[in-house]
Amino acid sequence: MAIFPSKQWVEAVLEAAKKSENYKEAAKDWEGDFLCIVEGDEEFLRELGRKEVMQGFMSLMDMMPVEQRAKFKGTPAGNVFEKLGIPLDGSIKELNVDELLNKTAKLSAEDIKGVSIYVWADFWHGAVRDMAPMAPGEHEDAVFKLAGTYSAWKLMVSGKQDTIRLIMSNKLRLQGNMSYMMKHMKAVVLLTKEVFAGVPID
Amino acid sequence: MYFEIDAKVREDKGLCLLRNETHKFAEEVIRPAAKKLDRMSPEEVVAKDSPYWDTLKEMKKMGHHRLFFHRDYGGLGLSAAEAHIILEELGWGSVGLATAIGVDQVPAGVASLFAMGDIIDNLVIPWAEDTEAKFHGCWGVTEPECGSDYILATQESFLPHVKELHCGQVRADKQGDGWVINGPKSSWLSSAPAATHVGLHVTLPPYDSLANGAFCIVPLDQKGVTKGKPIDKLGLRDDPQGDLVFDNAYIPDDYMIIRPPFYELRVGQILCLTSCFMGTIFTGLARAAFEEALEYSKSRIQGGKPLCEHQTIKHKLYAMFEKVESARYYTRKVMEHVWEKTYIEGTFDASSRHALSAQIYGKRSAFEVAYEALQVFGGYGLTKDFLIEKLFRDARAGLIEDGTTEVLGLSAAYNVIAEY
Repeated sequence: MAIFPSKQWVEAVLEAAKKSENYKEAAKDWEGDFLCIVEGDEEFLRELGRKEVMQGFMSLMDMMPVEQRAKFKGTPAGNVFEKLGIPLDGSIKELNVDELLNKTAKLSAEDIKGVSIYVWADFWHGAVRDMAPMAPGEHEDAVFKLAGTYSAWKLMVSGKQDTIRLIMSNKLRLQGNMSYMMKHMKAVVLLTKEVFAGVPID
Repeated sequence: MYFEIDAKVREDKGLCLLRNETHKFAEEVIRPAAKKLDRMSPEEVVAKDSPYWDTLKEMKKMGHHRLFFHRDYGGLGLSAAEAHIILEELGWGSVGLATAIGVDQVPAGVASLFAMGDIIDNLVIPWAEDTEAKFHGCWGVTEPECGSDYILATQESFLPHVKELHCGQVRADKQGDGWVINGPKSSWLSSAPAATHVGLHVTLPPYDSLANGAFCIVPLDQKGVTKGKPIDKLGLRDDPQGDLVFDNAYIPDDYMIIRPPFYELRVGQILCLTSCFMGTIFTGLARAAFEEALEYSKSRIQGGKPLCEHQTIKHKLYAMFEKVESARYYTRKVMEHVWEKTYIEGTFDASSRHALSAQIYGKRSAFEVAYEALQVFGGYGLTKDFLIEKLFRDARAGLIEDGTTEVLGLSAAYNVIAEY
């Protein structure tokens, strides 16, 4: 079981993509990176109150070098990090998770308004060449951008709901060449069914 | 019952049972009701005490109103072969009533494929579970100023041409948490005079193209909706048709099921499903017409021997047989393809040229067979004493219903040229 989003989840997704022959075949012509934008919502706030989720989230943040994390400064997410005492310009390895949880309990829905986490994934000819957390403003030129609340993303990555239904219901918002995506629907469906849903989420 | 050439179907006891049971239903329930409705005035067809409602309820009890629903949202989870067998038999009974149960599933059926959230629990599931015809759907596509051409909006390569044709008369405008709808749909909306909801195609601001559209569900029991008088027509008289006019009708946002940028492509896939449906029910009509002619030709004596022993009639019977058989297996094959892309893979990338050609082939075969079958009856075929007279009228109507065969062919041609 992996925590979404976390370093463990990113690694597991990369592994699942390598293993899925169906996905590799369906996506053999696919060329296009994705900027995934996970927007904080009440469920995210609630989940952050769980120790393992907080640890997972911190592991994701720790994947970014200090100079990259510094780009959060002045953003809604950066403001929340400051409230929690998460340094944007220093190491986060030594942080006390229990303290973070105490501070998180004091956060309100208003505090996390506008908070977004960014994960960039480079899909290329059936392979996921790279997948990593990003700072605001990075990879803005991605071929596709997919944005939605944490709750909507969880529905998708857990395989409980298919991507297209989420997009068509406006729960996830997609920007990019729609015709291209429609022509590669099998790749999109298998990415959800076999790659994302292939990683059980806690 | 005809010999099934496909061993996979012939040797499957479940499929054979399904075919026999559905045929019995078509023979004992649908066809007698269709004959009655055919003789009634359009107003009588939609009246509360009309056999239309009793038949609809019976069809809903059989689950025929949710053949196309997603299996997780009220669908029966049928295979393509099962759906095809049911539809051919329903079409054998009556293409009018088969159309009524087909359009019935358009609003909630499309929602079952693409929507999520409250609308599933509040509308889709109750619709699927309804056996009393509390819900009855229709499909609002064509408009007074834009008929079958409306479907060309689904072809991207057609866009400039579509703009020249029309920009849509029924328009939706976002207001607050919902949408306000205005404009007229044409008189050819199947089941509209009897429907509770419409699966409606609208255009969106800036109203510059039919392709800039959306598909939504509109409840028809509201102040802003006017149902026109059911029209009096040549064929398919057992399925009432009439116009709908929207004057500030309102729907909540989650009733807007397909919106840009998905509209063009998703509507193309809905047309693949409806095309398989139409091609198959008209195959049923073709078979019904052929069987009427075959039976008549064996019993009617002319020149001292049964009609079927005359060389000219033999030629006709063979030609009809060939058309019915080829229509069945072509429409079934295409339905298997569309089914796989829609319900199994969930990729919604079925080949529209094949789906459209299944519809055209089924309808054209039905008309050609009904035409020749009527000829076998001679003068009697023109009287209301024989079913073939109704079948011929229904087959003729089919060349226009759900898109003229010319426009459907044009749409398929664009796809052939672009993607063959």
